[in-house]
Amino acid sequence: MTNASASPLPLWRAPRQWLSAGLTRLLAARTPRTDHLVLTQRNVYILPTRPGWMLGVTLLVMLVGSINYQLNLGYLLTFLLAGAAVVGVHVGHGTLCGLALKLAPPAPCFAGASARLAVELISTRRSPRHGIGLAVAPAHHTAALEWAHVDVPAQGSTHLTLGWQPPRRGRHPLPNLAAETRFPLGTFRVWSVWRPAATVLVYPQPETHPPPLPPASPKAGTAAAAHTSARQGEWDGVRAYRRGDPLKAVVWKRAAQAMARGSADLVSRAQADHSPHELWLDWRATGTADAELRAARLTAWVLQADQLGLDYGLRLPHTTLPPAQGSPHRLHCLEALALC
Amino acid sequence: MLNTPTTPPSAPRPRIGQHLLRRLAQLPRDTRDTLFLLGLIGWVVVLQAQHLPAWCLGLTAMVLLWRGALSWRGQPLPSRWWLLGLLGLTVGATLLTHRTIFGREAGVTLIVVLLALKTLELRARRDAFVVFFLALFTLLTHFSYSQSLLTAAGVLLATWGLLTGLVNAHMTAGRPPLWLAARTAGRMALLGAPIMVVLFVLFPRVAPLWGLPADAHTARTGLSERMRVGQVAQLAQDSSVALRIKFDGPPPPPQDLYFRGPVLSHFDGVEWQPLRSRLPPSMQLGAELQPLGEPTGHEVTLQPHQQPWLLLLDAAAQAPTLPGHTLRMTPDLQWLSDRRITELVRYRASSHLRFRHGPQLPELGLQDALELPPGFNPRTMALAQQWRQDSLNQPSPEAALVQRALALLRTGGYTYSLSPGLYGTHSADEFWFDRKLGFCEHIASAFVLLMRSLDIPARIVTGYQGGEANPVDGFWTVRQSDAHAWAEVWLSGQGWLRVDPTAAVAPDRTTSLARLEPQRGLVGTAMQGLSPAMLQRLRASWEAVNNRWNQWVLNHNQDRQLDLLRRLGFESPSWRELGYVLAALLAAVGVLGAAWALWAHRQHDPWLRLLHTARQRAARAGLQAPDHATPRQLAQALQRQCPGHAHTPPLVAWLLALEALRYAAPSSPPTSSPTPTSRQLKPLRQQWAVLRWPTLPPHVPTPDNAHPT
Repeated sequence: MTNASASPLPLWRAPRQWLSAGLTRLLAARTPRTDHLVLTQRNVYILPTRPGWMLGVTLLVMLVGSINYQLNLGYLLTFLLAGAAVVGVHVGHGTLCGLALKLAPPAPCFAGASARLAVELISTRRSPRHGIGLAVAPAHHTAALEWAHVDVPAQGSTHLTLGWQPPRRGRHPLPNLAAETRFPLGTFRVWSVWRPAATVLVYPQPETHPPPLPPASPKAGTAAAAHTSARQGEWDGVRAYRRGDPLKAVVWKRAAQAMARGSADLVSRAQADHSPHELWLDWRATGTADAELRAARLTAWVLQADQLGLDYGLRLPHTTLPPAQGSPHRLHCLEALALC
Repeated sequence: MLNTPTTPPSAPRPRIGQHLLRRLAQLPRDTRDTLFLLGLIGWVVVLQAQHLPAWCLGLTAMVLLWRGALSWRGQPLPSRWWLLGLLGLTVGATLLTHRTIFGREAGVTLIVVLLALKTLELRARRDAFVVFFLALFTLLTHFSYSQSLLTAAGVLLATWGLLTGLVNAHMTAGRPPLWLAARTAGRMALLGAPIMVVLFVLFPRVAPLWGLPADAHTARTGLSERMRVGQVAQLAQDSSVALRIKFDGPPPPPQDLYFRGPVLSHFDGVEWQPLRSRLPPSMQLGAELQPLGEPTGHEVTLQPHQQPWLLLLDAAAQAPTLPGHTLRMTPDLQWLSDRRITELVRYRASSHLRFRHGPQLPELGLQDALELPPGFNPRTMALAQQWRQDSLNQPSPEAALVQRALALLRTGGYTYSLSPGLYGTHSADEFWFDRKLGFCEHIASAFVLLMRSLDIPARIVTGYQGGEANPVDGFWTVRQSDAHAWAEVWLSGQGWLRVDPTAAVAPDRTTSLARLEPQRGLVGTAMQGLSPAMLQRLRASWEAVNNRWNQWVLNHNQDRQLDLLRRLGFESPSWRELGYVLAALLAAVGVLGAAWALWAHRQHDPWLRLLHTARQRAARAGLQAPDHATPRQLAQALQRQCPGHAHTPPLVAWLLALEALRYAAPSSPPTSSPTPTSRQLKPLRQQWAVLRWPTLPPHVPTPDNAHPT
């Protein structure tokens, strides 16, 4: 979804990026989606970097110099560096090869915020692995990758968290991740493309300044007014004060006693759970016609209602969630809003 | 004493050294890396120090110290204008010093300053590469001055440091200790060493690809084509090796060890130069060498002296074997190559210690050896005039006159000295009459001038005389301090004869090879405290090591390579074979690497391998099962997806048997090895070969149902 929206850059505008993006897409296409990737020879690739090419040119110049000045020590130095560079390829390849990458299922996030992708890098090797970078492949291949670097200890593991901003609400497949190392000499880039199988759920971004919650409506099937007056003044007990409790619910006598003891804890009267009123957050009653704004407003209301400890239900075009409260209910509502 | 506390009760004040060390250990990574790079650059420059102008060294040291202080205190880098200003200053100073900004000397000066200036805009990690490449070029230029063992060690250290810098720059996370990077770099260099050796041994050595700039080889001490009086005495202070010789038999007696260099026949009053004859070539003297007696075979390893001549034991009738060079003999018995000796060369020669050369009867060409510049040395001329009159009635006056001159040198109170002082215009007069003091070139020059005044054709031969055997490896070593000048006189019926007037003054010089010791410097005086015998042994060992180095590393040329191929069995090896061997070796290494990779990739547990085969076969049959299904999961999938099939029960039984082999029932006693061996698996493998699989309808996996979320 994300990659499709990125318009491919024309070849003549940026040949390098075009090539590298094409290569990444090609490599990604032949890797199955998985949350647990073991890097092997089959999915680790090596290409020289720009300094690598520079080193090649330098070695060539040094060789020509050695030939022209007939310097046997010059040959030795040139070949020593060439040998070290070749070993460097091997060392670099070994740094990435055999490394296991494990992605924890990403927690849902709100649109506009970053999803946190927690990756565990596990090494069974008897020596540490240095300079391993992980990055989220950007949607637009002109954007630079932001590498997070980490060392993996010998026969141990490291955790690394990458941030990724999903484009909009909904359930999104994770973007491709890239792992690379330029260790040890920086002359070769050893890298791999990882397509995680996990998806991330993105809730709508809550509206910043939503209108107040809609009024609660009487429960269907009861005589609202009578019931309300009948219930007035009936309390089931006391509980700790919560923000939003009406002033008259506060047990002031207790408050005075608490203040005398030196604490400022307020106590409210707990009302019976069988409230005659129900708060319905309705898709059609948000006061706006824009679908995204509706979702944003409803999200803000859900969060507000949850914070106030109210019972609330959610009516969406295809789903209806009966009134309830608590964390699981909030998550259900948010998920329904994300996917509606 | 045991009871007394070893530490004083009050904690000692931390000393400045400790404080510094602690501060170093706690430096932020960027600062530490920068200081390391600065130290490294300092070392690279120090290696080059003796070839750099003083201002360049001063500027470099100043910039490096400045940069070090900035990063120590965490201050910002100077603005770009500083850099530009310093760069302009450098180019100006280079122009003033070298008259150009091109060429080697100027290039090295510039590159060193650039290296230092680069640090002023250095962000340690990112710019490690720039420093790396610049430093590499600087190191390479160093080799054109010296390729000695010590140089190699210094450059190796610098290279290690450079690799360490790179590795450190690519340890991107945290603040890993520097020794970790150094260890990685060292390991890489060690592992790369075989590659280096193979390439070094087999990479075809070719002639220079194009002509070198004029300053490619700066003059180093050694013989030259011109001799100014006083010059050889300078050489006598230089104990570096000029050539090494391996005689086929025992070395000849010391008084026969004359190694012929340039022959000087033309004197302009101040300076001796090679023959500049005004005669047409056909009238000039020929070599006319007649060897006498048995030849002495020897092999010479000649240090590069940037001159075209080869030094040989006097006199070689046949051309030495030196591939890649075209050799010719001059009329005065010198052997010349068509190009200068810019690298260590080794050649075989055979010389006749006894020989005659030159015409036996007077020829017109001898006039060249009688030329005297007018107006010089009047007193010597007068002496010659008097001697000639004395010998007017003798039958063969020339031989007697030569003997008379030698007798005068022996008995006239003449002294052989390294520091005879400066001679004026009439150098022969001063030697014969005033100072009576001189080094070999004074003596030879005065002698030849006297001979010419006596109408006896004479000329100066320069070269080396003597040497010493290295007791460690038996090579005969000739040093620059063995440089010598002697005379040749022509006598009718005998041709050219070698006369060493120095031997008349100081007989020890040629017979027991005694040398005048130059005044010792500070180090020399300090070394004198050691026992002379031990000192000599140390020196001999050191030179033997150096000689090995020369023989095996510096003298590894095309000749050696072809020799190696011949030993490998190639009949008439050439370049192409060299390429073949190199390519074959590279291919072999590649194949070995691929085989190793394949082996490493392969599953080594036979049980897992069999399970993997089964999984693959199941997938091919169209069975839907997880990628890493256990045998039981496979069996269950099989039972679920094709329950009634005839092939299913045996397959299920086989899979469960496979499982039982690895995961025994809890009640059964534990087997000795938790993983089944290949032998235990054999019956299962045999069964596997005859098992048939059902064919399931093709299944198209889609991302959605292949990986349920």
